[in-house]
Amino acid sequence: MATHYEVRVAAEERTYAAQAAQAAFDLLDRLEARLSRYKPNSDIARLAQLAPGEKLRVSEPALACLQIAKQMEQITQSAFCPTPAALQTQPALPEWNLLAAEQSIQCVSGRLDFDLGAIGKGFALDRMAELIREWDCPSFLLVAGGSSILAGDSPTDAAGWSCGLGEDDSPHRIFLSNASLSGSGLAVKGAHILDPRSGLPAPRQSRAWILADTAADSDALSTACMVLSEAELIGILERNHSWLAFLETEEGPRPLGRRSIPSPA
Amino acid sequence: MVDKLNRREFLSATAVAGAAMLLEACKSDTAEQKAAVGKSSLNNINIALIGYGEEGKVLLESLLNIPGVKVVALCDIWDYHRGEGQRYLQKLGNEVRAYENYEDLLSKEKDLQAVVIATPDFCHAPMTNTCLKAGLHVYCEKMMSNTIDGARSMVKTMRDTGKLLQIGHQRRSNPRYLFTLNRLLHEANFCGKLTAIQGQWNRAVKEDFGWPKKYEIPQSMLAKYGYKDMHQFRNWRWFKGLGGGPLSDLGAHQIDIFNWWMGRTPKSVMASGGLDYYKNHDWYDNAMVIYEFPVDQAVARAFYQVQTTTSAGGGYYEQFMGDDGTIRMSEDPAICAIYREARATAVSWDDLTQKGYVKAKPLAADTAKVDVRETAALAEYEIPVFFNKPPHQPHLENFFNAIRGTAKLNCPADEAFSSEYVIHKANEAVAAEKKINISDEEVRA
Repeated sequence: MATHYEVRVAAEERTYAAQAAQAAFDLLDRLEARLSRYKPNSDIARLAQLAPGEKLRVSEPALACLQIAKQMEQITQSAFCPTPAALQTQPALPEWNLLAAEQSIQCVSGRLDFDLGAIGKGFALDRMAELIREWDCPSFLLVAGGSSILAGDSPTDAAGWSCGLGEDDSPHRIFLSNASLSGSGLAVKGAHILDPRSGLPAPRQSRAWILADTAADSDALSTACMVLSEAELIGILERNHSWLAFLETEEGPRPLGRRSIPSPA
Repeated sequence: MVDKLNRREFLSATAVAGAAMLLEACKSDTAEQKAAVGKSSLNNINIALIGYGEEGKVLLESLLNIPGVKVVALCDIWDYHRGEGQRYLQKLGNEVRAYENYEDLLSKEKDLQAVVIATPDFCHAPMTNTCLKAGLHVYCEKMMSNTIDGARSMVKTMRDTGKLLQIGHQRRSNPRYLFTLNRLLHEANFCGKLTAIQGQWNRAVKEDFGWPKKYEIPQSMLAKYGYKDMHQFRNWRWFKGLGGGPLSDLGAHQIDIFNWWMGRTPKSVMASGGLDYYKNHDWYDNAMVIYEFPVDQAVARAFYQVQTTTSAGGGYYEQFMGDDGTIRMSEDPAICAIYREARATAVSWDDLTQKGYVKAKPLAADTAKVDVRETAALAEYEIPVFFNKPPHQPHLENFFNAIRGTAKLNCPADEAFSSEYVIHKANEAVAAEKKINISDEEVRA
């Protein structure tokens, strides 16, 4: 996943918190070994070797992540896609089946060039949060690459973890507890997000954020926001009230969706 | 070295004979066994996984990929790990019975053919010996034991019982390693005369393993299983009497390759190391080792370092250097590399490519055009082996194929003993602060 991660644990003895964080990082290493396309033996790298008709049994985390990816692809009408760059090297998006009973992925057509960069970080945060809760450290904040965060319970005497939308010290802040916020945009990496449906750079937003219950959802949806038209996005948010989008405007982030904005009050 | 190569070639040549052995072995299945659904047979080998810590988790992922092998029982003294494993398998539709104690498991599980052991090193010998005596084949993680005597007892039990005992030096079944050893090093003589070897495994500083408070094992139970306290249980690799420290945990992988590829064990070892960084461990946190391997009336020296305070130095690998060329091997294919000396002109890269020993890395440039600019990069070559499996899977497959009679073990306990013996001697050399000679006789179990 080639990015930096942070684990912050509140209201816990320092050594215990550090060990819980270390356990979360160890889990992250194991997840990366399965999900990274840069690791030659990862499930994701191995899937790219399948010929049409072939299938491969993958690990539980890889299957679970791909399962969410498939759902998000359907929900966003392919604005989010786990094979986003396929159109740069192939005439059409590859097709694949998820065979849950066999714990396998089957290649139907094309080459399965999965790139979970727009969902894997969030998925990893969700799994790390499960583990940290097992350690009875309910108040935590997990950060992946500065673009996805997942908050546990609020720190003591705080309304939530104070999270800025945008640059460091952004005045636009929301206060998160037991929720995830992810952002996508062009400011840091330039036009790096492709519209999977056309293979061209995503045309829509300069920056967008999604608030959701899980980091996998917020991660994937924030990327989809860069591709979706506003009408498409509104349609998606109408069907799921646990999601809230923010689109960057000159006046500041503009919310879309029915979920209420977490505030310090 | 040549004898070793011939032995390996012999192994692959016996595949047909192996198939015949399988037919014979199948005859031993009674009609009742064949009729019972899920009953353990050569086509459906029921196994237990003993130890579901970090390594057990890695092995389980590979086990789940292997057709005809079913994990029916799981054992771990820690309910946290045991429950995690049971839930994980349940999620995959694989109900397993879980045990705290392996002897309890053996007394209740009557339809096993094999066990896979991934527990702390000091448990390996008693567990392996008991399982072999119970009539089971055993795949045991390396190191065989934290003591030479423990490892020797495992070889003896293997011989006494006639059961299979594979030791988890998984690189010995790695197709890339096998190809490079047999084809490139031996057949093509790519390195020429081997003059030096180098290996390493360096890791960054890391917090000791902790544990969720609510899953703390009671003190009486820890004492019963040989641990002083929970910290020692979670960090057993660092403690004498339980594990062998980084030279054994990490170094065993590379040093085993030194021995395997040289086709013999070294004649001496000298080493320096110490407990210079961590304050709450027993074992050295860093070590530098030099082995001397006799080669053609001369000596090839092998340097190995393990650091647990820095990840610098290019990862983990074994590098075989000769007067004609160098091969750098690693379980991570991105680290593998081959180099030739300018003097190695007798055989060209094209010849090596045509014979299938190497392949050219794809050129990025359009070969239909020539642009004059700065000096172009040299053509690069690589080892032409790709395998689409997790690293431990081929070694486990070899174990199960050996049970079926279609293969011979790639790392039987007697061979592993010789290799691991010199690893124990490296730890001994650090303590002794002197060169230790190793005879060919003493490395045999």
